[in-house]
Amino acid sequence: MKLDTIGVTPFTISRRGILAGGSALALASAIGAPRIARAAEPLRIGLVTSLSGTFTSLGESMRAGLQLLLAEAGNEMGGRAVELIVEDDQGKPDEGVRKVRKLLSQDKVDIICGVISAAVALAIRDVVTEAQVPTFISNASANALAREAASPLVFRPTKTSWMLGSTGARWVHDRIAKSGGMTLGADYAAGREYIGDFVSTFQELGGSVDEQLWTPLGTTDFAPLLTNVAAAGPEFVYAFFPGADGVRFLQQMRDFQLTDRVKLIGPGALFDQEDVIPAAGDAALGGVNTFQQSPDAPNARAFVEAYGRARGGRLPGEASTAGYVTGQVIKAAVDAVAGDVADKERFKRAILDQPVETAMGRMAFDPRNNQAILDIFVNEVKKDAEGRPFNTVVHIYEGVRDPGPQA
Amino acid sequence: MIRQLPLLILLALPLLLGDGYHLRFAAEVLIMATAVISLDLLIGYGGLVSLGHAAIFGTAAYAAALTAIRFGANLPLVLAAGVIAATVIAGLMALLARRSSGLFFLILTLVGGQIVWEVAFHWRDLTGAADGLRGIPPLTLDLGITSLPLASSPALYLVAAIICLAGLSLARSFVDAPIGRALVGTREQPLRMEALGYDIGRIRLRTMLAAGVIAGLAGSIYPFVNQYVGPNAVHWTLSAAMIIMAVLGGVGTLYGGLIGAVVYMTIQTYLSSYTDRWQLIIGAIFVGTVILMPHGIMPVIGSLARRLGWRNPEADHGA
Amino acid sequence: MAYYLIQALNAVSLSVLLMLLALGLSLMLSLMNFINLAHGSFYLLGSYVAIFWLAAGLPWYLALPAAFLAAALAGLILDRYPLGLFYQRTHLMQVLLTYGLSVMFADLMRWGFGAEIMSLPMPDALRGVVFILGLPFPLYRLYVIGVGIVLAFGLWYLVERTLWGAAMRACVSDRRMVETLGIDTRRIFTVAMVVAGGLGGLAGALGGGLLSAYPGLDEEVLLLALLVVVVGGLGNMTGTVLSAILTGFITTFARIFLPEFANVISLGAVAAILLIRPDGLFAHKARRV
Repeated sequence: MKLDTIGVTPFTISRRGILAGGSALALASAIGAPRIARAAEPLRIGLVTSLSGTFTSLGESMRAGLQLLLAEAGNEMGGRAVELIVEDDQGKPDEGVRKVRKLLSQDKVDIICGVISAAVALAIRDVVTEAQVPTFISNASANALAREAASPLVFRPTKTSWMLGSTGARWVHDRIAKSGGMTLGADYAAGREYIGDFVSTFQELGGSVDEQLWTPLGTTDFAPLLTNVAAAGPEFVYAFFPGADGVRFLQQMRDFQLTDRVKLIGPGALFDQEDVIPAAGDAALGGVNTFQQSPDAPNARAFVEAYGRARGGRLPGEASTAGYVTGQVIKAAVDAVAGDVADKERFKRAILDQPVETAMGRMAFDPRNNQAILDIFVNEVKKDAEGRPFNTVVHIYEGVRDPGPQA
Repeated sequence: MIRQLPLLILLALPLLLGDGYHLRFAAEVLIMATAVISLDLLIGYGGLVSLGHAAIFGTAAYAAALTAIRFGANLPLVLAAGVIAATVIAGLMALLARRSSGLFFLILTLVGGQIVWEVAFHWRDLTGAADGLRGIPPLTLDLGITSLPLASSPALYLVAAIICLAGLSLARSFVDAPIGRALVGTREQPLRMEALGYDIGRIRLRTMLAAGVIAGLAGSIYPFVNQYVGPNAVHWTLSAAMIIMAVLGGVGTLYGGLIGAVVYMTIQTYLSSYTDRWQLIIGAIFVGTVILMPHGIMPVIGSLARRLGWRNPEADHGA
Repeated sequence: MAYYLIQALNAVSLSVLLMLLALGLSLMLSLMNFINLAHGSFYLLGSYVAIFWLAAGLPWYLALPAAFLAAALAGLILDRYPLGLFYQRTHLMQVLLTYGLSVMFADLMRWGFGAEIMSLPMPDALRGVVFILGLPFPLYRLYVIGVGIVLAFGLWYLVERTLWGAAMRACVSDRRMVETLGIDTRRIFTVAMVVAGGLGGLAGALGGGLLSAYPGLDEEVLLLALLVVVVGGLGNMTGTVLSAILTGFITTFARIFLPEFANVISLGAVAAILLIRPDGLFAHKARRV
């Protein structure tokens, strides 16, 4: 585990830590971290996250969230000390598989968690299923994992794309327009899922979308697209672009002065508090999104404060909350079985039986596919007391459950 | 045969040492090394730097995976599918870049490769799009009477090692054949070769096809190591990584591909567990190699070996 | 009517951006016969400098010169070592060296500036839109178009109409002869590298307002610049400008009419052009034998 994470205290002791400790990595407040005497075998948790490549900022946030939870829990779960081993999947599925194999055979981890990218999650699914290791997919939201690719010991303590797309449609249908509007999306798996689910739910509710526009991933110039939008003048626009594309889209929408003229709705990732809003700034104001996470959520208050303290005043977004929540879910289950994760059936039942109070709200799991059943927040980006754009909860859809294997 | 001995030892060694995980990684290194060896034919002997080589390699992987999913993962079938697919792509790329060299060749192969990537990334029904192909059945060898499972790490490693040796000897025989010498000629003195009546385009096409066959062999078993293949396998960044591996090992030495693959992949997978700055390290080593050891690591080892008394009967044809 | 006019303006702004990206690269190729795959790194550096400059509240009209200077300084240092060693080497070696350097710079910048996406704090003077025939067009894009045209003109003037430019052009044709005239060609190459690097940074500062800044952008920008330069023909800055215009228009109108296939169309167009004219569209006719 790397000891050069900024600001967050890494309490865990790992073989890697002993090696790295030899070098001058006294950066963080690792000084003063108590050396926990190992009474019982430590619980080894492997975190697979993206620390290089496209998803680096998300991956670092996820790691920080999990480390925060471990720090708060005194680095202990179910009476055992926790050994966290972090591996970088570099945003590539092949590397993810390699790292998972390494975690399983070399580090002999008891639990695997993490994964930002859907492609990585799908790639490792077979490996962890064969090895029968409890796995918690913290961030990847591909619908397939709750449907045809569900696996007995793979749990997903976060949303599916469907949950966001369909609640978005419900919101639009209830509050904005019964029909009409446009969708704009990045033409790749996640974009197709979000927008596809939005459109199908919208149609189920009796509406229909006027026009669906797509651009390739990595589009730098949205001008042609936005000129089309300006010319069409739709009631609303449901859009999704990931990461930097999203930032550019929001800014260019503001440049073309469409932010005031068109109601913009999207899945929460387009307005991520940590990943997008700091860069997009005021361009994000007025945007509405449906998300399983909100810095304004009632259950999240303590976490938001703690995270801000740990990471220099930042507000958490999806990835960091996901890391924290995964830690909460694992801890609740490990505590319930008093640290005995070897009995996998019992461990699984501990997860399925009792909903966990997490920073995303109350989280229960669907026994059909181990998919979390979540409260989905409708956020509107408004200025908070300090004038910063802030995802403010305006509505909650409670207990949203993915249709699951028969969908 | 003496010359092959160290190589054979090197290849047999991990079987004695490694466990499942390390052996599987070694298999992956060998597969990549084979692909780099085929790239060396282009770069080292033909003077053609291709940023589309991953497209050739990755297409073989996709073809093999799809064949395995539809018709079962029988080794000869899978190899055939991969080699055919790779050769077709290689041929197309050669036709695209017939008249280009240098920077233009680089860009054209990049463009060609990215077109392949766009197809892989978007054609959900065929390639699984961005999610890639999963559920690939484990590799087997059908001998008619019985069926040998080849999914375990030692078996995969053995298959990869045999393919690597096969690729190496194919490349070596290509280089030693008249066409190999003609290829070097087109790199050194293209105008003179034309004046002598050689068709440079035809020579290039044959070279690309040969490289395609070797890369196809490697690509065919790639999906079985990680039970997954995705668009990353055809992306230009993998091509760039292969070029780095070729240069690190030693362009124009063929063996260099093996060394380069070992160095690069070890750093990428092992070093990344210890530091976030592994890309900086690879970049630094690469730059260092280009400045200080422009012929790569292989010749340095070669001269060391010569100093220790090892006879090298064949002269180096390379860059 | 207004719609097509605006889309044409969109195409022009994209073209100008592409031109700015490509000019530094093209300068090095045509004046020094040097391929610099670290060009994207200069761009990204310029973006980050502009972002930090504006975030610090310093005068916005000095952001461009600041970015230029920072990148030019980087160019100066690199010219000293190790780029200077490779001016006389083959293109292959230059490609390898500069690519390796770009990998290093990318990671260094990620380490120094962080992995998060950063946006240019837009100065108030450049916000807002102009309404052209009823449709909005951002002021910042007009600014980019304006600055780009001035820059291109300035560069042309520098290369074609000044003594420095003449000396640089002469260096490419016949270096030895220039040296016999008593001109230090090594110094000229240094100047060219500094200017080209600075241009890259300048493009980054301008482009930052459109593209933001994040690790990985350097690679994307490099690819675009390479495509534009190669399609235009090497050793020819006019070709680069024309190619940028062509690419900008093809890409923009592909996005309008066939948005899902826009990338494939652009790639296909490049491939087709290079198939028909392997040396680029506007290449000088090289003497055969």
